[in-house]
Amino acid sequence: MSLTRNRFNLFVSLSCLVGYGWLILIGRLKPEEVGSSYDVCLIRHFAHIPCPSCGSTRSVLALIHGDLAGGLYWNPLGLLIFSALLVVPFWMGYDLLLKKETLFRAFGFFEENLRRKWVAIPAIVLILLNWVWNIYKNV
Amino acid sequence: MDAQNVDYFLMANAKFLEDHQIFHIRERLLAMDESQWRMLQFMQFTDPVVVLIVSILTGPLAIDRFLIGDVGLGVIKLLTCGGLGIWVVVDWILIMGITRRKNTEKLMMAIY
Repeated sequence: MSLTRNRFNLFVSLSCLVGYGWLILIGRLKPEEVGSSYDVCLIRHFAHIPCPSCGSTRSVLALIHGDLAGGLYWNPLGLLIFSALLVVPFWMGYDLLLKKETLFRAFGFFEENLRRKWVAIPAIVLILLNWVWNIYKNV
Repeated sequence: MDAQNVDYFLMANAKFLEDHQIFHIRERLLAMDESQWRMLQFMQFTDPVVVLIVSILTGPLAIDRFLIGDVGLGVIKLLTCGGLGIWVVVDWILIMGITRRKNTEKLMMAIY
């Protein structure tokens, strides 16, 4: 992994900031209004089909409002993003305060394991199934 | 290794590597022995132009990142719809340089 710890921390911090900023910008809308108001997906914009992660914002918004079924319906990947947005800032704060690199190491471990065939193939299949479901739902 | 072979190798592979490292790589290759050199002949590099085309065509799916071995960042890019579309556009500009850096790192690891 060529990403250094400092770059990784900067990247994760910026990602979380953009993620929270995006949710604040979008938060005033109802989940079903998001897709039509703010379309950031280039695949949906040009090919007119949703991408595997389309509906994630709506899913996170539904989860924020305590609607687990809605969150899973819009996009199950939203659950991952919601969990990451909840956990990562605290995890990073812990690392920065105690001058540790547990998050960076966990990322390396995740990346290393995802390269293994028995992890990568089921993950790709799940993403493709989710994509098919997204196209079917036309989120 | 003899200079002619090294120069031939660099001529064939310079487009895959970072420009500012070429001189340093040449020095290192010249100091290598025959057995290491044979191993280098079979080394495969990722073509930055191919990665750029993949990035333009399938940016939000993060296939470009997976192609260069950035699996973790690829997953983040995929899950965030290409970083809300911003990362996709940034990668169109940066991905060729990143690919060359990855290729150079791969070569460096092999020759050191």
